[in-house]
Amino acid sequence: MANPNESQEIQDLDQITSTWPRPPPFYKYFTADNLARLADLKRERAETSNPPPPHPPTTMPTTLTGLPPNLRNLQPPPPPDEGAWRIFGDPYRLVQPLPKLEEGGEIRPVVANGGLLADGERDDKHFDRATVLKRIAKSLLLNFLELVGILGQNAMDAADKVKDIRDLLYNFHHLINEYRPHQARESLIATMQAQLDRLRAETAAIRDSKEKVERMLEGLGSLKIDQEEAVAAASTAGTNNKSGGGRGMGELEEEMWGMLVEPAV
Amino acid sequence: MGDRLTQLQDAVDELAQQFVACIHYVHRHHNLETLDPNDEIRVLPKDAEQEVDSHPAEVFKAAQIELAQDLITKEQQIEYLISILPGLDNSERDQERNIKELEDELKMAEAQHQQAIQEKKDIMSNLDEVIRSTRRP
Repeated sequence: MANPNESQEIQDLDQITSTWPRPPPFYKYFTADNLARLADLKRERAETSNPPPPHPPTTMPTTLTGLPPNLRNLQPPPPPDEGAWRIFGDPYRLVQPLPKLEEGGEIRPVVANGGLLADGERDDKHFDRATVLKRIAKSLLLNFLELVGILGQNAMDAADKVKDIRDLLYNFHHLINEYRPHQARESLIATMQAQLDRLRAETAAIRDSKEKVERMLEGLGSLKIDQEEAVAAASTAGTNNKSGGGRGMGELEEEMWGMLVEPAV
Repeated sequence: MGDRLTQLQDAVDELAQQFVACIHYVHRHHNLETLDPNDEIRVLPKDAEQEVDSHPAEVFKAAQIELAQDLITKEQQIEYLISILPGLDNSERDQERNIKELEDELKMAEAQHQQAIQEKKDIMSNLDEVIRSTRRP
């Protein structure tokens, strides 16, 4: 790896590029005024163009044409048509197919068809894959044993065995990488399930606290009547019974607020 | 710690490293044998780099056994990791159906959630009114 030319190259690169590329010249257009004007224009256009698009969520955000030059750069450019683009000189693609094992050159695939999941086999379960992986793991051990044996007999013959082990390792990694999309979907399912559970628990908690408050309100209704009777009785009796009644209300109120601030989990 | 696939890949890489380590140990620490009565083992000067750093026979044997056991352990780890890979019994179509169902359920749950929040707000304002009115008897 320590290549004398490489460090030379890196130095050369340093001389022609700065640490960060300079921002594109149109960044100056992104002022609050301009953004507000663009939003206004968008609203105007939306109002003037009568037929609304049939499926708003599926269409991309509308791109306005014929804008003044200082607003033109405020809109994001359309997505690349052919799914390929360059950033900082490196090409990127939307679709990144896993390179086939055979394309690497001399690696011999252990499993025909590069594993599973050709288009016709989408319904296949993955038991096969686990079995194949386990078989390769066992083969690795066996091949290593053979390698050690060969090394003991005649080290010159070991090259083939080393190649066998290398091929097995490559195959193993390839099978694992083929499995990655499957695992990604599996993780998505798990995340969604967790979100669903959390949402349902939250809803139930809110409903619970709501019912509690409802019950309290009912209790308060019956108590209010008692209170009024008490006040009426007190006023007719001519004594000020208000303090006792007031305290009762205060306690009740406290209790009520206590229930309200109780966090809705 | 990564996801299970990454763990599995790491485990396989470790197994490969153990292979190398095993061969290296044996290569470096074996003892020297004379194959012919006339052979003699060349003695290198002490400070020169020794080609072989022989370990005593029992140490060498024990180390060999340990290395072999480690290999087996690692292989068993790999098999265990394989057996707990997520979604082995789901096909891609199962997964897609599952995701769609979950999406619908999530939408429903979200709607219920919003409704519950609204109901809670209503009851809160209701309660607030009651409390305000009772404060002024």
